[in-house]
Amino acid sequence: MAKQLGFYFDSSACVGCKTCQIACKDKNNLPLGVCWRRVFEYAGGSWVPQGDQWIPNNVFGYNLSLSCNHCENPLCVNACPTTALVKRADGVILINQDQCVGCRYCEWACPYGAPQFDEAKGVMTKCNFCEDLLAQGQNPACVDACPLRALDFGDIAELRAKHGNVSAVEPLPVATITQPHLVITPNRQAQPVGKGTGTILNLPEEL
Amino acid sequence: MNVREWALITFTILAQMSVGSFIVLGIVHYFTAKKSGEKQADELSDRALLAIGPVLALGMAASLLHLGNPINAYKAVTNLATSWLSREIFFGVLFAVAGAVFAVMQWKKIATFQIRNIVAWVAAAIGVALVFSMSMVYMMPTRPSWNLVTTPLSFFATTLLLGVFAMGAAFVANYWYVQSKNPGCASDQCVLLRDTLRWFATASIVLLGFQFVLLPLWIAQMAGTDAVSAAMLVGEFGIMFGLRLVLVFLGAGVLGIFLYRAASSPGQEKVMGTVAYVAFAFVLVGEVLGRFLFYATATHFGLQ
Repeated sequence: MAKQLGFYFDSSACVGCKTCQIACKDKNNLPLGVCWRRVFEYAGGSWVPQGDQWIPNNVFGYNLSLSCNHCENPLCVNACPTTALVKRADGVILINQDQCVGCRYCEWACPYGAPQFDEAKGVMTKCNFCEDLLAQGQNPACVDACPLRALDFGDIAELRAKHGNVSAVEPLPVATITQPHLVITPNRQAQPVGKGTGTILNLPEEL
Repeated sequence: MNVREWALITFTILAQMSVGSFIVLGIVHYFTAKKSGEKQADELSDRALLAIGPVLALGMAASLLHLGNPINAYKAVTNLATSWLSREIFFGVLFAVAGAVFAVMQWKKIATFQIRNIVAWVAAAIGVALVFSMSMVYMMPTRPSWNLVTTPLSFFATTLLLGVFAMGAAFVANYWYVQSKNPGCASDQCVLLRDTLRWFATASIVLLGFQFVLLPLWIAQMAGTDAVSAAMLVGEFGIMFGLRLVLVFLGAGVLGIFLYRAASSPGQEKVMGTVAYVAFAFVLVGEVLGRFLFYATATHFGLQ
C-alpha cells in the first residue's frame, strides 16, 4: 500500500500554548486571518452553589491542535472546480494557487476549516505539510516547535499501530465524513463526538 | 452575508429565471403555433426570447463577483469528474451557447420549424441540467440546512415560477409594442396574449401550492438536521421570511387570480398588463428574499 502521511496529536499532553500555531504561521509566512494550524480550547461545565461556597460541577477543558488532515476522502479536492487541489502520491493535499479561482467552494466542503482564503491574493491557502522541509528530510515546523512533544507525523498506518485509531473527539466532526489522517490520544476529559456538552472558547480572532 | 453572497443570489436567481423563461416560452410557442400558426406564435414570443439572453449574461457576470481571482474563471470547468461547481459552470455556458444558437435561428428563421424545435428542446434540457447542477452544488454534508431534498425542489420551483411571471411581463411588453407599431395585427395577438396569461395564472396558482408544501417541508427537515438554521429562519430572520411568504402569496396567488379574471374579460387589457407587471415584481422580490434566507441561515457543520 502506498504511503499516506498523517499527523499525530497527544491531547493528554497539550497545554494549549499555541507554539505549533505560531511556528506554522511563521514558517509559512501566513497573512493576518490565515492560520493553517489552530489550537482549539474546548471546555464546559459549571459552578454550583453549596452552602456558602461555589463548587465546580462537571467542569472540564482540553485542547486540540489541528491542521489539514490530508483526508482519505477529501471533500475539498472533490469540490474544487479547477483541480487546483491535488492529493500527492504520499497523501499530502496541496493547492496550486496559480490554478485557484478563489471561489471558496473547498472552504464550504471541508468540515475542519482547513482551506483558508487569502484576501489579498484572492486565492485559497492550506497546510502543505511543510513540503519543503519534508523534501529535505526534516520535520514539519509545528512538530518540531511543540515543547510538550504532543505533535508527531508519519505514515498513518504506523501512527495508528503505535497510538491507536481515535481520530475524532468533540468538537471535531465525525470521522466517517472525510476519514481524516489524524491520530489523537484523547485527553482524559475528552468528550465523544456528538455528545459534547462544552463549547469552543477561543475568540474569533484567535482562529 | 456579504457582497460575495449577493453575487450568488443574483447569479442563481437570474440563471434560474432565464432557464424557466426559456422553458415556459418554448411551451407557449409550441401550443400557440399549433393553435394559431407559426407566424402568430413568432409575433407573440420572438421579442420575449431575445430578452432571455441578457438576463443570463447578467447572471453569469454577477457570478464572477463571487470569485477571489476571476482571471482564472475559465479554469473552473476542469473538474467535471467530481465537482458539481464545474458541472454548473459547464452547463451554464452550454445553455448560453445553445440558447443563443436557437435565438439566432428563430430570429433569422434559419432551418425549418421542426429543426428549430429540436434545438429548443435540447437547449431546454441543458437548462434543466444547469438548474439541477446548481442545486447539487449546495448538497454537501458540511452544510446541513442545504443538504436536503428541498434544495433541488425549491430551485426548480423558483425556475418555473420566475419563468412564468417573467414571460408574462415580457409578453405584455411585447403586446404593447406590437400594438403601437401595427394596431391592425393587435387583435389576434390580444386574444393569444389573454389565453396565454390565463394559462400562466393557472400555472402560478399550482406553483404557489407547490411552494407552500415545500417551505414547511424545508423548515421541518432543517429543524431535524440543523436546529440552529431553523431557529434563525423563524427567529432572527422571521420578519423577512414572513415577508417572503406574503410576497409570493400576493404575487402568485392573489394577483394570479386577478390576472386570470382580467385575462378572461376582453377590454381589460390595461388592467391585465399592470397586474402581470406587479405580480412579476412581487414574485421576483419574494424569490430573491427566499434565496437570501437560503444563504443567510446556512450553518457550517464541523469547524469553521
